[in-house]
Amino acid sequence: MDVSERRHVALMLAPYVLGLALLVAIPALVTFGLAFTEYDLVRSPSFIGIDNFSELVRDDVFGIALVNSLVFAVLAVPLRLGAALALALLLHRRYAGIGVYRSAAVLPTVIPDVAYGLLWLWLFNPLYGPINTLLQWRGDGPLLTAWGFQAPQWLTHPNDARAAIIVMSLFTIGEGLVVLLVTRQGLPSELYDLAALEDATVWAIFRRITLPLMAPILLLLLARDTIFSLQATFVPALVVTEGGPPLYSTTYVPLFVYRNAFEYLRYGYAAAATLLMFLLTAAIIYAQWRIVKRWRRAFTV
Amino acid sequence: MRAGERSWGGWRQPAAIAVAVAFLLPFWYLASGSLREPGAPPPRAPELLPRPLSVESYDRAFELVDLGRYTLNSLAVAALTVPPAVLFASWAGFAIFLLTGRARAVLIGLSFAALMVPATALLVPRFAIFRALGLTDTWAPLVAPALLGLSPFYVLLFYWSFRRLPRELFEAARLEGMAPLAAWRRLAMPLVRPVTVAVGLLAFIASWGNFLDPLIYLFDSDLYTLPLGLRSLAVLDRTNYPILLAAAVVSTAPVVLVFAVAQRFFLHEDRGAGWLGR
Amino acid sequence: MTSLGVEGARKHFGGVQALDGVDLEARDGELLVVVGPSGCGKSTLLRCIAGLETLDEGTIRIAGRDVTRERPAARNVSMVFQSYALFPHFTVSENIGFGLVVREVRKSEVVSRVAASAELVGVSHLLARRPAELSGGERQRVALARALVRDPDAFLLDEPLSNLDAGMRTEMRTELRRLHRRVGATMLYVTHDQVEAMTLGDRIAVLDAGKVRQVGEPDDLYRRPNDRFVAEFLGSPRMNFLEPDRAAAFLRVPDGTILGIRPEHVRLDGDADGATTRVELVELAGSDAYVHLDAGLVARVPADERPHEGAEVQLRISAGDAHLFDRATGARLPWT
Repeated sequence: MDVSERRHVALMLAPYVLGLALLVAIPALVTFGLAFTEYDLVRSPSFIGIDNFSELVRDDVFGIALVNSLVFAVLAVPLRLGAALALALLLHRRYAGIGVYRSAAVLPTVIPDVAYGLLWLWLFNPLYGPINTLLQWRGDGPLLTAWGFQAPQWLTHPNDARAAIIVMSLFTIGEGLVVLLVTRQGLPSELYDLAALEDATVWAIFRRITLPLMAPILLLLLARDTIFSLQATFVPALVVTEGGPPLYSTTYVPLFVYRNAFEYLRYGYAAAATLLMFLLTAAIIYAQWRIVKRWRRAFTV
Repeated sequence: MRAGERSWGGWRQPAAIAVAVAFLLPFWYLASGSLREPGAPPPRAPELLPRPLSVESYDRAFELVDLGRYTLNSLAVAALTVPPAVLFASWAGFAIFLLTGRARAVLIGLSFAALMVPATALLVPRFAIFRALGLTDTWAPLVAPALLGLSPFYVLLFYWSFRRLPRELFEAARLEGMAPLAAWRRLAMPLVRPVTVAVGLLAFIASWGNFLDPLIYLFDSDLYTLPLGLRSLAVLDRTNYPILLAAAVVSTAPVVLVFAVAQRFFLHEDRGAGWLGR
Repeated sequence: MTSLGVEGARKHFGGVQALDGVDLEARDGELLVVVGPSGCGKSTLLRCIAGLETLDEGTIRIAGRDVTRERPAARNVSMVFQSYALFPHFTVSENIGFGLVVREVRKSEVVSRVAASAELVGVSHLLARRPAELSGGERQRVALARALVRDPDAFLLDEPLSNLDAGMRTEMRTELRRLHRRVGATMLYVTHDQVEAMTLGDRIAVLDAGKVRQVGEPDDLYRRPNDRFVAEFLGSPRMNFLEPDRAAAFLRVPDGTILGIRPEHVRLDGDADGATTRVELVELAGSDAYVHLDAGLVARVPADERPHEGAEVQLRISAGDAHLFDRATGARLPWT
């Protein structure tokens, strides 16, 4: 590339690099630096070395929040991606009413978080909510399902509450859905015509054509969703459970950070948690990348 | 009969209908809930249409807070944010595509690193920066993320889309002396139109639903956007569901409309452009 | 006069030496074909000349200028890509006129030059169409027209016919030759198809593993190949190679050499004390027949003189037709 070409490339990169530096890199470095201080957002920060970290390690609430976040990510991410992929494959062709179906699928993503939370508050109501009403349809006795076991108590029992949060997250897949729809639409149709000629089954087409071609985007979405699941503030969860039911069963790390930073005014401590979260996320993404690389080698033969 | 159609059988459409119903029913609850009189308690049993039907909640919502103005504000912020975001994201994606080896790897790595930084790490320092610049209580902090295309994710999406185009197209253009910016405008972008519309759509959704930034930076209620309006209503009366739901509907409807219209343009079936010359 | 010259070109790609000291010259107005097996570096050479890749070492001269450091657009060359690289969202006329528009030529002039170029290749009736609506042959012509519309110092063609079906390929080959005569420009043509090379080139250069093996007129290379590689590469069916012990049936050859004989020089009308062998297989190819013999040779005879499969024939090879190659180096040796 010669000088004038380089200049153009630099120009096109400039806003992005500026934005990254100003809005991401510098703030991140500041926060990560503050992780080694005691800071209440009012008086100047005071350096305390790794005390925040040693305290975090012993902090039970942080431990719970960490486990909650990890479990949530491990369970929710594959389910979300799977749902987005299934919907994308269902909705990518044009047929009557397709606009309505696609809009319906994106709806939960665009509803304001508060309203979304209220909605689930009603849906999950153990006594009157439609979900349990449906589950109890043929059961004999209060709270018993047709299969005999008790309907989940949703928001009042710790594990049920965690499950509820996961269920809630399954529907806000609008972004992944849009990306996958566009990707699927851009795949060359000749391959599918060929498959039709070879009388391939749905599963074979999916496994040998669709999946490999969409793999790069799926992996990008995987990284994105993993990050999101580990770090999202998840306001609807707040509306629905406020971090409970006791004790902290739906407190995730972002909530932990938020509380420590802005309610308890321990920004240094919160920053330490943030730094740890960043490193953990990076490690997980890196591990994903390595696994994928090994898989790829197995696939491309 | 298109490839794959036979193997799905006639299942596609009924399945889609089932999915749509599953997604729409809860929303119907919101909508019907908003059509009740203000202050009415939520119904015990789910009902299709409330009795008595009333749009008073909408009136009240617009009275209690300046919802009309907030809607316009949200629109204005989106108009200021989305086009530059799409532009800068596609620029950056294309630039990364043009680069090779080391430089490209570094930029992709930085993009991922930026994605991994938790939002919570950025709140306070960013606020400090904008306060130092005297830009708090303006829309500037809401629009500024357009610089990085709103998210490195969109940059990477554009990069990947450009990569799928035949490399020889750009080599032919380079041979004729076409500058990178011109190649971006006349070759790359026309060939990735669906992705551009998709990114625009996602950016619009993100901007419209952005709650945290307006909460932190805006104090003058004249500048408030819709999410803040919703919050103000919730603060005023947390249990007045019909009014809250009315505001939620007002908040959601424009986005759904935009999506319903846009999805026709970028999701119609098309022999993927760029697969020619073979 | 040299129009295009490469001197001492070296380039490596992550572990592989793609070009290993290439010296090549194309004379003004000639059609020079660079031919070789896949991976020999011919495409790399072309791309380096175009400026799409940079040489590690060596110089490139075009029309007397040293362009080694110049960017592609400044070298004044046109290129036809293997995949044609037509812009799918432009019409044919927009595709052809692309180079002119980028260089900000006046619109009226663009129109007239596009028309002239389209006329040359025979796509004048397709100017308003899009590439998606064209056949492979038509797209190829559009790619040619786009290269012709400027007046470059040299044309570079990267296997332009390899994506066409056999019939179209033969037709386009002749068209290309006609075009070259008409335009009279210097063309550097890269292909892996030796038939194409032999029929198209004013001169051909055989490339192997990044080195030039031999350059010369097609007939020259065919009759007097420098080494075994060139001898084996050119000619269809391939030259027959015999070890000394088997060659002894026809001619005495020294140890450490290999005898080479072209199929058309393997005669089946030897006398009774000549080498006898059985016919294994006969392939009929129009006016010729390829006779595969149990002796491990292939002979080419006129179709109406072909033997039956299973028949016994007497072989005859004359020394004047045979080539001798050093077994170790592959170089051609003179008869003693």
